Amino acid sequence: MSRRAVLATGAVGLGASLAGCSSSGGSGGGDGSESDTIKIGVLEDRSGNFSLVGTPKWRASKLAIDEINADGGIMGKQIELFDPDPQSDNERYQQLTSRLIRQENVDALWAGYSSATREAIRPTIDRNEQLYFYTTQYEGGVADEYTFCMGPTARQQLGSVVPYMIENFGSDIYTIAADYNFGQLSADWVKVIADENDAEVIGEEFIPLSVQNFGSTISNIQDADPDFVMAILVGANHSSFWNQRTSAGLEIPMGTSTVMAQGYQHKRLEAPALKDVYGGFNYMEEIPTSRNEDYVSRYYDKFPDAGYANEESINNYFSIYMYKQAVEEAGTTDQEAVRDVLESGMEITGDRSPEGDISFQGPVHHMTHNMRVMRCDAEHNITVEDQRKIPEQFLSETVGIDLSGEDDGMTKQFTPVEYFDEAGS
Amino acid sequence: MKLGSDILPSRLKSIITKLNGPNTLGNSRVFWAAFGVGLLLLVVQPLIRGSYAAGQFSLFLAYGLLGLSLSIIWGYTGILSFGQVAFFGIAGYTYAIVSLNLGGALGPTVALPVAIAVATISAFILGYFMFYGGVRNVYVAILTLVVTLVLETFMAQTAGAKWAIGSVKLGGFNGIPGIRNFTLGVGESSFSLSGSEFYWFVLAVLLFAYLGSRILVNSKYGYSLVAIREDEERTAMLGYNVKKVKLAVFTFSGALAGLSGIFYANWGNYMDPSVFTITFATIPIVWVTLGGRESLLGAIVGTVIIEWLRKWFSINASEFAIVFVGLILMITILFIPRGILPGIRDMYVFFNAHGLREGIEHGRDTIQSRAQTLLGSVGIDISDSETPGSSEVMRE
Amino acid sequence: MIPLFIADVLKALDSIGVPVSQLLQMADSIAFIALAAIGLTVIFGMMGVINLAHGEFIMMGAYITTLSINVVSLPLPVAMILGALGTAAFGAIVERTIIKRLYGRLLDSMIVTFGLGLILTQGTRIIFGNSLRSIGTPFGQVPGYTYSGYRVLLLLAAIGVLGSVYLAFTRTEFGVRARATIQDPETARAMGVDTDRMYTITFAIGSGLAGLTGALYAPSATIVPGMGQSFLVESFVTVVTGGSSVLLGTALAGGILGTINAVFSNLYGNFFGQIALLMTAIIIIRLLPGGLTGLANTVRDKLGEQQS
Repeated sequence: MSRRAVLATGAVGLGASLAGCSSSGGSGGGDGSESDTIKIGVLEDRSGNFSLVGTPKWRASKLAIDEINADGGIMGKQIELFDPDPQSDNERYQQLTSRLIRQENVDALWAGYSSATREAIRPTIDRNEQLYFYTTQYEGGVADEYTFCMGPTARQQLGSVVPYMIENFGSDIYTIAADYNFGQLSADWVKVIADENDAEVIGEEFIPLSVQNFGSTISNIQDADPDFVMAILVGANHSSFWNQRTSAGLEIPMGTSTVMAQGYQHKRLEAPALKDVYGGFNYMEEIPTSRNEDYVSRYYDKFPDAGYANEESINNYFSIYMYKQAVEEAGTTDQEAVRDVLESGMEITGDRSPEGDISFQGPVHHMTHNMRVMRCDAEHNITVEDQRKIPEQFLSETVGIDLSGEDDGMTKQFTPVEYFDEAGS
Repeated sequence: MKLGSDILPSRLKSIITKLNGPNTLGNSRVFWAAFGVGLLLLVVQPLIRGSYAAGQFSLFLAYGLLGLSLSIIWGYTGILSFGQVAFFGIAGYTYAIVSLNLGGALGPTVALPVAIAVATISAFILGYFMFYGGVRNVYVAILTLVVTLVLETFMAQTAGAKWAIGSVKLGGFNGIPGIRNFTLGVGESSFSLSGSEFYWFVLAVLLFAYLGSRILVNSKYGYSLVAIREDEERTAMLGYNVKKVKLAVFTFSGALAGLSGIFYANWGNYMDPSVFTITFATIPIVWVTLGGRESLLGAIVGTVIIEWLRKWFSINASEFAIVFVGLILMITILFIPRGILPGIRDMYVFFNAHGLREGIEHGRDTIQSRAQTLLGSVGIDISDSETPGSSEVMRE
Repeated sequence: MIPLFIADVLKALDSIGVPVSQLLQMADSIAFIALAAIGLTVIFGMMGVINLAHGEFIMMGAYITTLSINVVSLPLPVAMILGALGTAAFGAIVERTIIKRLYGRLLDSMIVTFGLGLILTQGTRIIFGNSLRSIGTPFGQVPGYTYSGYRVLLLLAAIGVLGSVYLAFTRTEFGVRARATIQDPETARAMGVDTDRMYTITFAIGSGLAGLTGALYAPSATIVPGMGQSFLVESFVTVVTGGSSVLLGTALAGGILGTINAVFSNLYGNFFGQIALLMTAIIIIRLLPGGLTGLANTVRDKLGEQQS
C-alpha cells in the first residue's frame, strides 16, 4: 500500500519536472552550425493590453516571411518562424526570449511593443549577443550593440509635426502626455524642438495610463488657451480623450506622435472625434502612393479580418526584408557578420519599404525615415500635409555614437535631459 | 519517524519531531518518503535537463516562496492579504538599487540582507497600521490591495533622471534593467549564481523556509495562529495578544515575500512596476487556493504547477492560453474545493482505509455526483435512475 | 434641448460665483465612481461575493450596447437597456451554475470569478477582435462651457440609479424579502421566501447594474475587451469604504472620493488625483471599521439618543 502511494506521488513529481522537456535537441547549441532553415523569432502580443497594436505587427511579419519563402527564401533556405504569444506580459517575454535564444537558436529576433518590454529582455539579448530588432516607435536614445531600432524616435516624429504646427498655428504650445517614460521623454523633446523653432511650451500635463476621464484636462487646456496642443497619449484608456474633447467643444488643433497611426482611432471612433488632429509618422495605411496601395491590398488579401495596418507593422515588414538583404550580403547567418554588414549602412527601396525609400544609419543602429505630417479632417479622411526625410539625430549628432567603431559593444540608453537645457522640468 | 533513532544526535531528533504536528497535513512516513523522492527529483533536474531549463524553472521555485508566505498569513492565520506582492516588489527594487549602486561582487551580497530588511520593516509598518488600528477581515484585503496599487501608480511615473536613488534611476514604467546576479564569495574567488547554481540556491532556501515554516506552525505559536483564524475574539478572550501575533506573522510572511522578490529580480535581471498590478496581486491567491491554502507544501506545489501550466499554455496554445487557464481555475475550485494537495491526501487516506477498488469506485461516484449537480443546474439530467417528470434522460 | 437646460442652470450658478468648471469635474468624478461601484455594492456589499469579474460585466454591457447600435441600428436608449438586461441574464446564469455552490466559501468565489473574468476578456477578444467601432457621444457641448452635456447627464443618471436601487430594496415587497434572505436565510426560508431564487435575482440585479454602467459609459469610452479593468479599482475601493448600505455607503463614498479626486487632479495633476483617492480610501478604512455606513449609523444612533 505505502509503496504504491510513494510511487504514485513520485510519478507525479517526475512527470512534472520532466514534462516540460521539449523535443528539440540540446540547449545552447552553436550558432555557427549550418542548418537547412533560417530561424526567426517573432514575439508580438496577440492578447493582453497591447494586442490591439501588437497583432498587426505579427501579421505584417508573417506577410513578409511568407512572401520571402514563396520567393525562394533567404540564400535558398526557407525561413522557419517561431511565434508564441507573449500576452503583453513582460515575464512571459523574458521566458520566451530565453527559450527562443537558448532552445530554438533563432538567427534573428523581433520582439516587443513597449519600451518596458525591450528593457526587460535587453539584458538577455546582450548576454547572449542575440541579433534583435525592436520595431516600435519609442523615446529614442538606445545605443546597444545587439539592438536595432527600426521605428522612428520621438525626436524624428515630433521633429516633423511640431515645426509644421508652429508654422501654421502659432508658438504657444500646451503638452498633454502619458505619465510614463515615453510620454515624459516625448514632452522633453517637444520643449527642445520648440526652443529650436522660437516657440514656447506654456503648460504641460501628465496623465497616468489608467485615466479615462479627461474633464479636468479639457478644462485646463481651455484655461491655458494655447495655439495648439501636443497630445502624446497612449493606450486604450487615453483613446477616450478624443470623444470627450469633441463633445465638450474643444476646437484647438492638436498634434500627436502616437494617435491614429498605432491604434487607428480614426477608424474606431465616430467622426468627428479626431477632427483637426495632425500626426507626425513614418507610415499610415492611408498613404496615397501606388507602392503603399499595393502593399495594403496584399496585407488585407492575407488577413481579411485585420483591423488596420499600423505604423509599427510596417517597421516589422521592411526590417525582415532588410535582414534578408544583410544576410545575403554577408553570405552567412552568423550574427556578428550580419551586424557588421548592417553597420556599414543600408538602403531599403522599392516594394520592401511601403513608406518610401529609407536608409539604415549603421553606426547608430537607427533608421532615417520618410516622415509625413498627416491630417485627419472632420469626416476622418487622412491627407498628407508635409513630407520630409528625417534622420535620427540625437545619437548620431548630439551624443556622437559609433557602434561600428569606437563604441562597439556598448549597451546603453541616453536621454535628452543630459544634453539639452530645455529638457527636464 | 524511526530511522534508527539511536544514531541521530538528540538535537537533530528534537528538530525532526518538531516538523510533524497537527497543523500540517502530511506527517506520516509515507509522506516524508514521497517528499524525499520529489525533493531528489528536483535536485537532479538540472543534471537531466540542463542549466538553461533549470534557470527557467528556478522562477517557479522563487514564486513558491511567495505562495508559502501567503499560506502562512492566509491559510493559517486567516488574514487575506493582497499585499504580499507589495513586499515582493519593494524587496526586488531595493535589491536592484543597492546592488547597482554598490557594484562589484560586494553589491549583491550586501543588497540581499538590506532588501529583506526593508521589506520586513515595510510589512511591520503596514501591519502595525492595520492591526493596531482594528482593521479586520475583508478590509485588510482591500487595504493591502490599495497599498499595492498606490505603489504601482507611484512607481509607473518615476521616469526621468530626477527619480534616482544614488546612481540608479528608478526607471518608471520601463523599470530597472541590468540587475546583477547574486554572488557568493568576495573579490577574486566570487562567482555569480545563474543557471543550475542559482536553481540549487533557490531550492535550498525554499527547502529551509518550508521546513522552518513547518516547525513554526506545528509549535505552540502555530496553535495561536490557527486559533486566530478560527475565532479571533475567543482567542483574545483567552488571553492571547492577538494584535501582536498578527503583526508578527504578517511581518514574517512579508520577509518571505521579500525574499521571493529578490530571487525574481535575480532571475530576470529586471524589475518593473508590473509586480504591483492588481493582476499580479491576485495570482498568488490563485496559486494558494488551488494548491491547498491550509497546506504549506500545497501552496508551494500549487504555485509551481500553475505557473508551469501558464507558461506551457502560452507557448503551445497561443491566443487560447488565457481561456484555458481560466477554465482550469474554475473547474479546480468547483471540483477540488480544498485544493490539490489536500485532495490528494484525502484520496490517499481513503485508499489506505478502504483499499484500491473501493477507492476507485468512490472516486468515480464523487466525480459523477459533482458533474450531475453542475449540469443539473443548467437543466441537463444525466442520472440513470428514472425520475418522474424528467424531460431528458441521457444514458451514459 | 437638455444641454440648454443644463447651460441655464450653470449660468445661474456662475453668476453667484460658484466655480462651475470645478463643479463639473467633481460631478464627472463622482458619477464615475458611484456608477462603477453600484453593481458591486449589491453583489459584494449585500451578498459578500467578491466578484472579480465585475469589470467584465461592465464590459459586457458596453459591448452589447455598442453591437446593438452598430449591427442592428437600435436607438441608443434601447441599446442601453438591452445592455443592462443582457448582462443581468448572464449574471443569472452564472449564479445558478457556479456562484450558488460557493456560498459556504465566499473567498473561493473570488478565484472562480477571476477565472471567469479571464475567459470573458480573452473570449471577447477572440470573437470580436481587439476593438469595436465606438458609438458617438450624444448631445454635444453644453453651450457656453467646454464640457460635454452627456457627461453632466451621467451625474443625473448616477443619482437616478442609486435612488432606484435604494427604493427597490427598501420600499418594495421584493426588496424586503431580498434583504431578509441575505440577513437571515433560515428565517426567511421558514417564512416562505424562495431563498434560491432571491439569490439569483439579487445577483442578476447586481450584474445588470454593472452592465448598465458599461452601457452608460459606452458612448464616451473606447470599446476594447480590457475596458473593465479601469473600473475595477475604483469600484472595490468605493464599496469597501462605503460599507454595506447600498444607498448611503455608495453615495457617501462616491461623493467623498470623487470630490477629492477632482480637487487634487485640478490642483496638482491627474497622478496626484489618483494617489489622493487611494490614500483617502486607506485613511477611511483605517479609521472607520464599518466603512462610511458604520459612521452614518453611529451618527444616526447618537442623534436618536439625543432626541429621546
